[in-house]
Amino acid sequence: MGERGFHLEKEIIPVKFALVEKVLDLARANSLWPVTFGLACCAIEMMAAAMSRFDLDRFGAGVFRASPRQGDLMIVTGTVTKKMAPVLTTLYEQMPSPKWVIAMGNCAISGGPFVFEGQYNLVEGVDLLVPVDVYVPGCPPRPEALLEGFLKLEEKITGTRRFPRVESAW
Amino acid sequence: MVNDLLKLAGSDAGKMVIGLVGVLLFVVVNALLLTWAERKIAGHMQRRIGPKEVGPFGLIQPIADALKLLGKEILTPAKVDKPLYYLAPTLIFVPVLVSFIVIPFDASLQVADINVGILVILAFSSITILSILMAGWGSENKYSLIGAIRSVAQNIAYEIPMLLALLPVVMLANSLSLREIVEKQQGLWFVVIQPLAFIIYFIAGVAETNRTPFDLPEAESELVAGYHTEYSGMRFALFFLAEYTNIFIVSAIAATFFLGGYQGPVLPGIVWFLLKSYLLVFVIIWLRWTYPRVRFDQLLNFAWKGLIPLAFLNLLITGGLLKI
Amino acid sequence: MVNGLIEEIKARVMGAEPVEVSYTEKGYHCALETSPDKLSGVVGFFDEKRFYLECLLCTDYTDYLELVYLFNTHLAPCRVKVALKIDPEHPVAPSIAAQYASAYWYEREIHEFYGVLFTGHPNMAYLFLHNGIDHYPMRKTKVPVPSEDQARLDSFKPGEEEDTFFINLGPQHPSTHGVLRVVLKMDGEYIERAEPVLGYLHRMHEKMAENRTYQQFLPNTGRMDYLGAMSFNLGYVLAVERLCAIPVPDRAKFVRIIATELNRICSHLLWVGAYLADLGALTPFLFVFDDREQILDVLEGVAGSRLTYCYFRFGGLYNDVDDEFIAGTRAFVKRMWSRFSLYEKLVTGNVIFINRTRGIGTIAKEQARKYGVSGPVLRSAGIACDLRKIESYSAYDGLEFDIPVGGHGDVLDTYKIRIAEMENSLRIIEQALAKLPGGPFMAEKVPKKLKPPRGDVYQVVETPRGELGIYIVSDESDGPFRMKWRVPSFSNLMIFPELAQGVLLADAVAILGSLDLVIPEIDR
Ligand code: SF4
Repeated sequence: MGERGFHLEKEIIPVKFALVEKVLDLARANSLWPVTFGLACCAIEMMAAAMSRFDLDRFGAGVFRASPRQGDLMIVTGTVTKKMAPVLTTLYEQMPSPKWVIAMGNCAISGGPFVFEGQYNLVEGVDLLVPVDVYVPGCPPRPEALLEGFLKLEEKITGTRRFPRVESAW
Repeated sequence: MVNDLLKLAGSDAGKMVIGLVGVLLFVVVNALLLTWAERKIAGHMQRRIGPKEVGPFGLIQPIADALKLLGKEILTPAKVDKPLYYLAPTLIFVPVLVSFIVIPFDASLQVADINVGILVILAFSSITILSILMAGWGSENKYSLIGAIRSVAQNIAYEIPMLLALLPVVMLANSLSLREIVEKQQGLWFVVIQPLAFIIYFIAGVAETNRTPFDLPEAESELVAGYHTEYSGMRFALFFLAEYTNIFIVSAIAATFFLGGYQGPVLPGIVWFLLKSYLLVFVIIWLRWTYPRVRFDQLLNFAWKGLIPLAFLNLLITGGLLKI
Repeated sequence: MVNGLIEEIKARVMGAEPVEVSYTEKGYHCALETSPDKLSGVVGFFDEKRFYLECLLCTDYTDYLELVYLFNTHLAPCRVKVALKIDPEHPVAPSIAAQYASAYWYEREIHEFYGVLFTGHPNMAYLFLHNGIDHYPMRKTKVPVPSEDQARLDSFKPGEEEDTFFINLGPQHPSTHGVLRVVLKMDGEYIERAEPVLGYLHRMHEKMAENRTYQQFLPNTGRMDYLGAMSFNLGYVLAVERLCAIPVPDRAKFVRIIATELNRICSHLLWVGAYLADLGALTPFLFVFDDREQILDVLEGVAGSRLTYCYFRFGGLYNDVDDEFIAGTRAFVKRMWSRFSLYEKLVTGNVIFINRTRGIGTIAKEQARKYGVSGPVLRSAGIACDLRKIESYSAYDGLEFDIPVGGHGDVLDTYKIRIAEMENSLRIIEQALAKLPGGPFMAEKVPKKLKPPRGDVYQVVETPRGELGIYIVSDESDGPFRMKWRVPSFSNLMIFPELAQGVLLADAVAILGSLDLVIPEIDR
């Protein structure tokens, strides 16, 4: 176990409904409704990912819900400050489980470009507040990167990957 | 055994049960289909594709959504007024189901032909307001409460022109039964005689379903999600279901009253009926993705100062002409 | 103008010794020192002369704190720097919030970052910082926050009165486009009082600048206002170039203009979309993003990023533009010209839209001056103040464009102005492309390590949202001693509480949207 963040105990379910669980997971992976939670610059790229060129809705993830009660996924897009931290935790707690978190951008991952000695207003990484499932690095990450993040999350939920992985040319 | 069942099915009570099951099925299928259609149509209007990866053309998408909502944690916020909070999403279904009972899908496809059909629909549709108010009050959330209050004001304001727009048709048809109204339109659809009433009804109908440009109770930029802000999972799905069913009902009534219901050449009646209804549903979706939202006072002014006098005038003229 | 003013100040304000300074070197025309007891007289003079308070800032020189008031006029630039030295042990200064509404927030800001107490200020509550801060962050030495100041942290506590209904717009709310929080005291659907609470995205840019070298701070500029990143970039490099007297080749000047104007269109487009989404129409949002992507493609080709550009360097550019960029820009300009009619049909011709925006959030000229608003919001009030023309920088003076102004000052005007500004930006781009000279894109011999002479400079640019001012103090080291950003959204937001009073909730959302706020820029 690492130093940072949360480590949730795996929930113990006495009886496993294997098939039901599987079907539900499949449904969940294909219907990840994000909570509208734009923080800073990265939020614009998140919006861009939902727009015509990238269209998150193709994967059923385009239904941005304004109320945390109706979302499944919180995309933390940007810098989390100490003043914002309690709000973020409350929002996370208001979401009904199962719920997931994507940390989008360097700020959400580690504080990004704003870490310096003597800083007084920054939470250095959202994983200090809530458990994070997928990290999408970049400053800001391109919309493609966020899409990849979604695919990763789907893979995490169902265990299978939607598209064949693109091999790097390098 | 089989015979018994058939006999049972033939009886009045049996018919009712079969009808109810059918209606429930239709409600669910309709809502699933409409959510898919809405996202797809919105997508294409917005130069994108919409759901595509889940099943062919994304057709499985609504099922995945529904299953997901089913599988969500059942979450009750700590401060809510429990009885109201629990009851609201269920209660919103009563008017929906009742309305379906009297709508004639085809000449012989109707759960029950009540001779005051339209009154039943209008009377019960007021319950929707009640449940919205319950949801808003019970949620202990300011956004919900404002949303609910807006909704009540809006629905009361638009119920009147809605009724007034339907009355001329009742006068023309000389009946309150929906099936008879359809039968009277054999030669000529009432929309030809009553274009104004049709438009007034349709506008009021869009307002009744809380859709853009009249979606104030849910105005996202002002009230987050309006009266269902605090609802999650299956309870939220019920509101969703009711909303889409309501859209269909408004369109179906418009089709029945003004567009000749199931009447039409060649194709079977039910096909005509669904065709007309879904055409109107499409228009409602189209409006939503085109227009901004009106302001609260503008909305009420429009109803009280615009639609209601106009509807009265229309009623008077129709009455006068009928007398002559 | 400057000479006459200096004479007049000498004659009218007792004991004031204004001196003229070189605008090209400093970025302001006239400097003047005053003392706490004379301040109100000086301020009163400027108020009478219809100056607006451009900026109010504080610098900690360890043995004294210096408050700097920058006054300027809208149509004929005449920037006056009024300096006021105060004791760091007992930092107290008279408040001028009664004369200039814009000082109300600036003084609060200085109070929480430097601990300066302004006597006579109606509400010294904290604006930015979080609970649990224990020192004044911008002071050079660590000064602990006294306990009576700790109590001021929560600036607005709703729920004190019984029968009132408070609504929290934000910090996470769809209509604030970010993390602004506005506490609304409601009377039914009407707003009795609105109180913005800032600081949810305070990223300490100004503090960071003091810990960085000039080059290292460059990427921060694009992150401050991520929608108008090019303008912020430009402002910063211009300021440093002024400070170190670095010449810029002509080619670089023109490329800078093209890139900045493309970015401006991008920003305005996004505003149009987001604003209509506020009003409930979602489809235009996607249409504008479609156009926006075309710009991003072009800019990405030369700047390397889609959003948080860092394209300009001291003395020039990061790299030269290629034919692809020029062809891409031409193609975009052509496409964009044909798109306006579509927006006209989709939006401007829409009755609901017109009825939602006409006559709402009306700003009068005097009000605009008192609050120091700038950009399209100011121009909507009928004041044709565009710094590209009035205090021309780069090569804007050689290009032809109009300053669209409104007549009513309402929200609809700001919409029309922004659309017209996009058209003018296209014109600027066309001219700049036609005039684009050859030659180097980077000044020769810009030292790797900048060591500017001691002193301060001020530099303004017109960003998509209005006037951006950058004030840099150098102490001959390779990093700034103090850097203050006078950001447009901050001043524009100040006017919101007054505009929102007594309007419907829906109108408040429409007004807030029309200000085109970018929160990280306000919070810095
Ligand atoms: S990671 Fe970069 S782009 Fe994203 S919020 Fe932080 S600074 Fe902005």
